[in-house]
Parts: sequence; structure tokens; C-alpha cells
Amino acid sequence: MSEQELLAEVEQLKTANQNKADLISISAHELRTSLSAVKWLLKMLVDEDFGKLSDEQRSLLERASLSNDRMIALVNDVLTLNHTDDSTINYKIELIDMVQLVDEVVFDFTSEGFKKGVEIVFIKPSERLSVSGDKLRLRVVMQNLLENAIKYSERGSRISIFLTPAGENVQLTVKDSGIGIPPDEQQNIFNKFFRASNAVKKESVGSGLGLYTTKRIIEVHKGTITFETEQGKGTSFMVTLPRAASASAPAQEGV
Amino acid sequence: MKKILIVEDDTFLKNLESSKFTREGFEVMPATTSEDVARLIAQTVPDVVLLDLVLPGVDGFGILEMLKKNESTKHVPIIVFSNLSDEKDVIRAKDAGATEFIVKANYTLDEIAQKIKTIVG
Repeated sequence: MSEQELLAEVEQLKTANQNKADLISISAHELRTSLSAVKWLLKMLVDEDFGKLSDEQRSLLERASLSNDRMIALVNDVLTLNHTDDSTINYKIELIDMVQLVDEVVFDFTSEGFKKGVEIVFIKPSERLSVSGDKLRLRVVMQNLLENAIKYSERGSRISIFLTPAGENVQLTVKDSGIGIPPDEQQNIFNKFFRASNAVKKESVGSGLGLYTTKRIIEVHKGTITFETEQGKGTSFMVTLPRAASASAPAQEGV
Repeated sequence: MKKILIVEDDTFLKNLESSKFTREGFEVMPATTSEDVARLIAQTVPDVVLLDLVLPGVDGFGILEMLKKNESTKHVPIIVFSNLSDEKDVIRAKDAGATEFIVKANYTLDEIAQKIKTIVG
């Protein structure tokens, strides 16, 4: 194959990939419109905006609501994945202050943590820790890890987040004392659509795409993700990302 | 009573929004197109706008621009309320002066009403 043919093929594949991504975006928009209508209506019915309900009616509507929320979570995750998948070419690389990024995400989740009765503690490093990467995608990583930690923690427990230098890398640790991951299911947790049996039991809303997406994003950034877990005791996720020189050297080297 | 201009082309969604926000103590000004918006704001300036993006004719971005150019409405907070959530749409709306960008499917209407109340006081 000549170089010209090869370039033409690459262009064709890029177009095909973009078309797929566009189709997913459009379908998701349409799906969300119907799902919003159902979500709003069910909540108004449960709130008795349209009249009194029997206990049985309420409980059935609440079940419908949960099932609808599960579908919304799936659409959201598919969209995030779509953005991750379609655009490794479109990653916007910049120098990111990790302390600031983690701080922002922790702030966003404070009220969620409060609602679930879970304390979130971020132990900040004494020095500035920067990485070179795509800010929005790395936010997704932090959001997914923290969201999972909150979701699978018990009321009254604590989530600790550590950011530390580790040689040439920056290490981010999100430690919860939640339900943990059953030993025979640990090898599957980064698989697309996989959800651990105890996770499904505790929280029915979830698509099984969060950790898959997280791992993909980290790998694109030439990082790693590992975990330590004990069922019933908790889980720690450790993410390492190549450390970038701070401030004076803007990210020229890419990821 | 605070006045809320709702721009939404889906009749069912608009009816639910109107019903909920009226119940929450707002005066609702419902609109479907940019022409409706132009006609309504010529009569009354709303306290807040809840703006869908995908609309027939002039879309939400066009209406956002129109409201920000108009002397009487340029200070009115505009909440973009859409099921689009691409990074480029969010940035475009914020750059055009939107106060907030809310994904419809992620909130119930009573949660939206609370958000609006914190914005308009």
C-alpha cells in the first residue's frame, strides 16, 4: 500500500469514527429527552402533585423511578465513553495542577457525601504536583473514583484522598472503607459493563462503564491504575500519572 | 412573584415544567420559538430564563445571543436547560453569557426549582 493510499484509509477511518460518535451523541440526546419526561413525571406523581397515592402505588412508582435513573446513568456513561473513545486524537493537552483538580472535584461532591453521611478528606501534598494531560478527562477519572467510593461506603464512614509524589510519577489514592470487591470478581472490575455482585446489591443504579472508562483515560495518559481491597473492609484505588515539570515548562511533550 | 421565561419545544416537557414551577410559586411565561420570546419580552421582562438549545428555527444559542444583546434582558440570568452536554456546547453557552448549564435528565423539577430560587433570590 502506498503512503497516499494509507493516508486516504486513515482519513476514511477517522470519518467513520466521527460518524459513529455523532450518531451516539444524537441518540443520547433523544433518549435523554424521553427519560427526562419520565423522571420528572414520576417524581411529581410520588410527590403527590397530581393527587394522593396508596402505599402500593408509591412503592411501584419509586421502583419505576429507580429503573429510569439506571437508564439515565447508562446513557451518561455511554456519552462519557463516547467522548473518551472518539477523541484520543482530540485530547487537549495542558499542564494540570493536580491539587487544584482534585480539590475542585472534592468540592463538587461535598454535598453528595453529606447526603450519604460520608466524610471526604483530601490530604494535600506540601509541593505542587503537575501532570501533562487533558483536564476534562482527568476530571472524569477523579469523579468516577470518588463517586464509586461514596456509592459503596456506609453512612458514617470516611473517604481519604492522598496525592503524593512517587519518583517520576504523581500518585493519587482514593481510599474508602466500603463494601470491597469479592476476591473471585477482582479480575473483572475494569471490564466493560461488569459490576461486582455486592455492588449491584447495594446500589442498583450503575452501568459498569465507570472503571472501564477510567482505566482507558489513564492508559492514554501513560499512567496506571491498581487497587487493594478487602471485602467488607474497603477499597483503595491507586492511580499513577507521569509527573510534569511545574509552571516554568508548559506541556509541550504531549502525553 | 418571580417571572420565569421557559423556552422549550417539547410540549409534554413544557407542560410538566409549567405545572411544577407554577406550583413552586413562579409566574410562568411559556415560549417555543424565538418569535415567542421576542413577543413576550417586549411585554414583560422575566426574572430568569430557562432555555432549551435544540429548537425549531432559531436555536437556543441564537436566542441566548438575542437576549444578551437586548438592553432590557441582558442582565437577566439565563439557565441553559438541555440534554446536550458536549464540552463544546457547554463552553459555547457559557461564553455567550449563560449563568448555568443544566442537563435535564440529571435533575428532577423540584431540584431545578431550588436551583432557580438560589439564583433569583
